Amino acid sequence: MDVIKQMLTGKLVEGYMPMQMLFELGSFALLFIGAFYFLGKNGIKVNKLAQATGLFVFSILYFTYRIYPPIPFSVRAIYATMTLIGIFMWVSSTEESWKDFRKPIIAVADANTAITKMIRTVVVVLLPFLVGFMGYNSMKPNVDEPIELRTVHPAPPASTKVHGKTFVLQTASSPYRVDDAGKYSDTIQKTHIDGNPWDEKAPPYLQYVREGGQIFFQNCHFCHGDNLNGRGMFAFAFNPIPANFTDPGTIAQLQETFVFWRVSKGGIGLPREGFPWASVMPPWEQHLTVDEIWKVILFEYWHTGYYPRTWD
Amino acid sequence: MATLNKQAQKKIWAFFALGTFVGLLLMPLFLSLPVGASGGAPAPAASTAPPAAQPADAKPVEKSRDIWYKTEGPVIGAPAPKTTDGPKDYPRYNFESRVLLWVANQQHLYYGSFVLAVPIFCMVVEYLGIITKDKALARKYDQLAYDFVKISLTAYSLTAILGGILVFTYLTLYPTFFGYLASIFRPVMHTYALLFVAESGTLYIYYYGWDKMREGFLKWVHVSMSVILNVIGTVLMMLANSWIAFMQSPAGVDADGRYLGNIWHVIHTTLWNPINVHRILGNMAFGGGVVAAYAAYRFLTAKTDEERAHYDWMGYVAMFIGVCFLIPLPFAGYWLMREVYAYRQQMGITLMGGLLAWLFIIQAVMIGALFLTTNYYLWQGLERMRGAERYQKYIKYMVFVLITCFIVWLTPHTMVMTPAELKAMGGQQHPVLGNYGVMSAKNGAINTIITTTVLSFIMYQRGNKVPTVKWAPLGDAFLFGLFTMAYVNIIWLAVYGYYIPANVRVGLSVPQVATTLSCLFIGVTLNSIMMKGAKELGPTVWGQISVRSQYALIMLATAFTWMMGLMGYIRSSVRLFWHVNEIMRDNSPWAFTHTIGFAANMISFNVLFFWMTILFVFWLGSLGVKKAPAAASVGQKVPVPAGSH
Ligand code: HEC
Repeated sequence: MDVIKQMLTGKLVEGYMPMQMLFELGSFALLFIGAFYFLGKNGIKVNKLAQATGLFVFSILYFTYRIYPPIPFSVRAIYATMTLIGIFMWVSSTEESWKDFRKPIIAVADANTAITKMIRTVVVVLLPFLVGFMGYNSMKPNVDEPIELRTVHPAPPASTKVHGKTFVLQTASSPYRVDDAGKYSDTIQKTHIDGNPWDEKAPPYLQYVREGGQIFFQNCHFCHGDNLNGRGMFAFAFNPIPANFTDPGTIAQLQETFVFWRVSKGGIGLPREGFPWASVMPPWEQHLTVDEIWKVILFEYWHTGYYPRTWD
Repeated sequence: MATLNKQAQKKIWAFFALGTFVGLLLMPLFLSLPVGASGGAPAPAASTAPPAAQPADAKPVEKSRDIWYKTEGPVIGAPAPKTTDGPKDYPRYNFESRVLLWVANQQHLYYGSFVLAVPIFCMVVEYLGIITKDKALARKYDQLAYDFVKISLTAYSLTAILGGILVFTYLTLYPTFFGYLASIFRPVMHTYALLFVAESGTLYIYYYGWDKMREGFLKWVHVSMSVILNVIGTVLMMLANSWIAFMQSPAGVDADGRYLGNIWHVIHTTLWNPINVHRILGNMAFGGGVVAAYAAYRFLTAKTDEERAHYDWMGYVAMFIGVCFLIPLPFAGYWLMREVYAYRQQMGITLMGGLLAWLFIIQAVMIGALFLTTNYYLWQGLERMRGAERYQKYIKYMVFVLITCFIVWLTPHTMVMTPAELKAMGGQQHPVLGNYGVMSAKNGAINTIITTTVLSFIMYQRGNKVPTVKWAPLGDAFLFGLFTMAYVNIIWLAVYGYYIPANVRVGLSVPQVATTLSCLFIGVTLNSIMMKGAKELGPTVWGQISVRSQYALIMLATAFTWMMGLMGYIRSSVRLFWHVNEIMRDNSPWAFTHTIGFAANMISFNVLFFWMTILFVFWLGSLGVKKAPAAASVGQKVPVPAGSH
């Protein structure tokens, strides 16, 4: 209930934002439709072109100012294009509304009233300037750093060699993701997801998690953050910034062996397609043992509540 | 008496002809079996080698292990050649050989898919014509089927020519590689060639025999011929698929690429069947698109109302068939991806998360365009029905739902942004939009889109009709309930997906898809039943539709073509620097992956080239037309799939 109250006051509520945004969009759309319907009922017919322009401008404003933090331009451009397409589909969906939509445009092109003449003149004069401005804008030298399209998860090698031992990524498995009998288990994490690793009598799995946690806080949290959300104290000094493990797009969608390879080899171990890599992620095989690497990975999964990706 | 005799004679001839076809069809198989068994054996050695009866003085045969099936087999073929960059292995012009091959391949593929798909339509439509009771309708179907083959006939010879060009390109630019492939696939290639002959023969008789075999039993023979035609066509395609599947996930050879004598293993590699299914569906969707574009082109250039009516109808039917096959396509794609992951995780990641991931984003855009266009076309179709105005007011809500879903569908997971924007956002992940970037949201979006498309179709089916069955209110209520539940279920599952582990989440797509499909099947079936004998508010006036709708059809076809080029490129380039994955390395200077921009330009070029040549084919087709087909005249009842009329 509290959440709904907050939403109604116009706050974006953490954890609900994605659905909230869709919901808001829906409400505004209904509001628009309702408003024009109401006006139409009262004898004020708003021309389709005007409606469409209003809707478009509104959507631009919404995506630019409503959503915080600001959406990158490339994404806003996608949204604007989609909105335009939608508006086109809507105004041209029936012959009647299409005619209504075109009427002012055609009028500007060839009607002979004083107003249309004036608009026509203005348009004819302004158009070259607009084109010129766009040309100028695109040629203007730019001092921003260039955009880097980075392949965040490049294809791993078939196998990787760490401390003299070869691991085949397809078949290897974590030696610590094990049940009490020491056998590999897919479900053990689920069993102990709310367990207490500090418990003296904790099962072996949780003991390994605790050890992994210690390794994490000795080595990784400076960058990856103590909530594992990629906001460690050094984080923003780097580009690319450290991975956010709580985001469903990092370890949650990787196989455990992939993560093992990434942690062992670090930024410099990225394959060529990972270029341009400037990743500071250290190659941990130089500082940790194989066991320690497996344990810290175990901890990361346990702490975030994500499970390594499996196929089947 | 004399006529009866003639009838009987005709019958005998018909049986004879049918028998010949079947014989022709099976002959290559018989021929190839013994060849296949001795496989790629070096001819003289194999023929002089003592048979099993006297193995004592035979040299011990070297055995080796199949890299995929892990079975042992006698080493028969030579190892895969190790090429070096130079005129011996890679003779060339002053130009990138790979690009030449790319164009040759893609053009051949476009035409190949087209001529494989169209006879399938033909078969279906001709059959519909036979079983339809109404004489006028039957004639119209028959005419349509005939129109279909006519288009494909010219395209057929072009396909053969392009195939020749393709082989020459291989032979001249990649002789070593092609030699290796041919040494393994020799019996398959011969079978392929023979089948091609059988296919041409059948096609020509099918086409030229159309008038002769119009009535009664002969008509049935004629339809069976189309079945044979399609069987041959499908086998042809599957054989060709075995080559590319072998290049991607080889089997039947050992780690050095030596052939082990089992041709079935070589053909039946792990990706073969997923590719087969995906390609058959894809071909059909593509074929529908091209025929629809043809109809649109004829509609736009038509001079009379009759012509417009006929081509409007033809475009509708073709679009309908195309979309029917478009809907299962993503699921086939999903299966293929799964198998790729199962085969090599690296390959899967290169595709979905790595080097080629950006291309998948472009693919998502294209899929979006396809569904939007389909919906748009259906809405425009309401214009040709008097009485359908009552549904037009719902369009704006559907537009909204579709566009919002697309906004989610297109939100990239890794956003392109300047470093300044990155800092402003405080991280790679946007707290709001980041959640649209993952699978869960995408699944929800695309399922909502498909469900909405189904809804559009149901709306279209109802168009000018009011159900008269007694249980109509109940049916309406049920439909309403079905779709409401579907939307709630899909969206709920999409949201729920965030709260559960990834491996469980993968399983969530199953109930989502099940929901979508049940809307499709239950919804459309129920609606069709309700529309049986429904009261019409006004006639359906074929031909009375906006030109925008026809441009939508053309756009649909172009999107199909573009997407096919794109996906083909992705499938092919995922091998990276291998000719045959992990067996034969590509040592030419062009073993790198092209930039996205270059690839996109190449694909566009191929699409443009295809459309230019196919326009030529259409034009040729229109030269032979004496008069406008005696088809749907204005306001007349015409058949429509799914029994909506
Ligand atoms: C100096 C800062 C730094 C430290 C310390 C550090 N990392 Fe990283 N890490 C990064 C950066 C930056 C990235 C993102 C760029 C990349 O993928 O290489 C990253 C990425 C990763 C990834 C890849 C996630 C993905 O989605 O591909 C994993 C896994 C990871 N780190 C684990 C660890 C572990 C475990 C430790 C401690 C043993 C650790 N990191 C310590 C900077 C660091």
